[in-house]
Amino acid sequence: MKHLTVKSTKAATPYQALVEQYGSPLLLLDCDKLVKQYHELSNALPGVEFFYAIKSLPHPAAIHTLEQLGAGFDIATSGEIDLLWEQHAAPRHTIHTHPIKRDSDIRDALRFGCTTFVVDNIYELEKFVDYRHRVGLLIRVSFPNPNSPVDLSRKFGCKPGEVELLLQKASNMGLHVKGLSFHAGSQCPEPSNHVHAIKQCKQIIDNVYNNTGKLLSILDIGGGFPVEYTGDACDTESFCQPIREALEELPGNVHIIAEPGRFLSAPAMTSICTVMGKAHRGESTWYYLDDGVYGSYSGQIFDHATYPLTIFSDHKEKEQAVFAGPTCDSIDVIAENLTMPPLNIGDIVIGKQMGAYTSASATDFNLFKRAKIVVINQDKEQSLTDEKLA
Amino acid sequence: MKTYTETLYDSYGQEFQVDKLYFENKTDHQHLVIFENAKFGRVMALDGIIQTTEADEFIYHEMLTHVPVLAHGDVKNVLIIGGGDGGMLREVCKHQNVEHITQVEIDNQVIEMCKEYLPNHSAGAYDDRRVEIVIDDGANFVNSTDKKFDVIISDSTDPIGPGGALFTLDFYGACKKCLNPGGILVTQNGVAYMQLDEVSTTYKRFQPHFNDRTFYSAAVPTYIGGIMTFAWGTNNTEARTQSLDTIEQRFKQANIKTRYYNPAIHLASFALPQYILDALESEN
Repeated sequence: MKHLTVKSTKAATPYQALVEQYGSPLLLLDCDKLVKQYHELSNALPGVEFFYAIKSLPHPAAIHTLEQLGAGFDIATSGEIDLLWEQHAAPRHTIHTHPIKRDSDIRDALRFGCTTFVVDNIYELEKFVDYRHRVGLLIRVSFPNPNSPVDLSRKFGCKPGEVELLLQKASNMGLHVKGLSFHAGSQCPEPSNHVHAIKQCKQIIDNVYNNTGKLLSILDIGGGFPVEYTGDACDTESFCQPIREALEELPGNVHIIAEPGRFLSAPAMTSICTVMGKAHRGESTWYYLDDGVYGSYSGQIFDHATYPLTIFSDHKEKEQAVFAGPTCDSIDVIAENLTMPPLNIGDIVIGKQMGAYTSASATDFNLFKRAKIVVINQDKEQSLTDEKLA
Repeated sequence: MKTYTETLYDSYGQEFQVDKLYFENKTDHQHLVIFENAKFGRVMALDGIIQTTEADEFIYHEMLTHVPVLAHGDVKNVLIIGGGDGGMLREVCKHQNVEHITQVEIDNQVIEMCKEYLPNHSAGAYDDRRVEIVIDDGANFVNSTDKKFDVIISDSTDPIGPGGALFTLDFYGACKKCLNPGGILVTQNGVAYMQLDEVSTTYKRFQPHFNDRTFYSAAVPTYIGGIMTFAWGTNNTEARTQSLDTIEQRFKQANIKTRYYNPAIHLASFALPQYILDALESEN
């Protein structure tokens, strides 16, 4: 998608209606998009069980919608567990994936009913000795993922060569390790990280079985399935094909699970914000929007994302422009060097693909009010459709 | 809620159809539900673990009560630690020779809730004039009380969570201090097949305190995974080797009605499978 799309002012009408009804800024959460993404990934990775990474968009409507579809949930904190409590999600279909936990975190998860946990080192194994009868563990293995904009291999995960030692230690402690997990990085541009990691894990699984007779029967392939932001389009089917082929090489007893977050949630939210001021500074016109990098656009800082923007104008002339957020900090700039028709104060600006790691990492800086999340198409009660919101 | 899935184990578990949810309480510290199931009647679960059901609770409560009381033969004072559902109290109250029953429960709300939603457990036992209810932590109570008992029954929850303090060396020592000469401590000790090391741990922790330490057992359907063990600690080495005649005579004298317990079961329940004996042997 292009970074900036200009549409006719007519196309702005449904968004303006929402702003009139709910105020500005808004985030529009479309549950239909979650459903579409879930089906798309399920079709591309048949037989894989999905655990939605709540962290990407911890919203009740997202939990509810995905649970209806049969998804499980990837939890990392007790706060996320509370959200699942409220939604009455089935604890048997949850996995706790944070490699580093406090005793209270383990207890909260057990109390909820989650019994699958991820570990990547000996100190973490020791934390489970008191709970050894109750839990099944996954060992997180780290493989370099230099191709991903978010490298998740540095902070967590043991080296492939350390797995057998950890298994031995776990066995000595009476702990059951039931499988392996890895994370190939976030928003992977191509599937080679996944394929490489799956092949390495296959080798570990085979070696462990041949050397000790122990079955590692779960492989958690993490997330990292990409969505389209301002770069090139990426086709889910062709991204997943090599992953499928690699998975087919695994022993038949290995159950594959994955933790998609961004892939499911990113397309599900659209940001609607409003020009609240403008100024001519140097060569550019600065537009001050009522949402910015301390709010819904926080992913531009934390998640290294750039979101496709849409404005509405019938003007032909173009000028240099900057979009800035509403806070007093000068880092709060959403986009620079834009060439676009002039906007007026009160005009709206749309950000697409803004479901993942947006509101999730928004702050209350300046005590500027966060965007309100408006849910549409949940349980098909509301009838707003894509056609209206072009 | 259409089903309730117990999450005691990761790789194995039991599931209940829920015909009606009677009670649900979720706090930061615990999640408690009471619901109706066609096979087990009212079921109470705490933090994903089945605590008691109307249909099979008699096995557990009868065995933790009548075995030590009738093995002892002259019980006047009984201490129940935990047991907020009232099932243990009901069974102890059946013994007319018992003069005083102290129950120490950490949370009065548990008692009140069980009276309301599991009334058949206590069956009016809380109104028995011999009963004294103390709201206190069980470990704290045995450490500080001057009272002495002929039988102490520890009816605790799983060692994880609030019941953890009731499985320690210190707790067992404090219980021993509260026993009259010849007195007996019995404790629920989990399902041995699933948690064999809990049997050997208790066995080890009883060692400094009791001349006679062993386990007896019964299968309780909703404590899944095989037989449940009850720990037995006493310096009264004759208590568990009473003859069948003696137990039958005491049982007849007590004139109580039971559904699981009988004198033959009493004696047989001390016979332990080899895997448990091996685990105990390894602690010697």
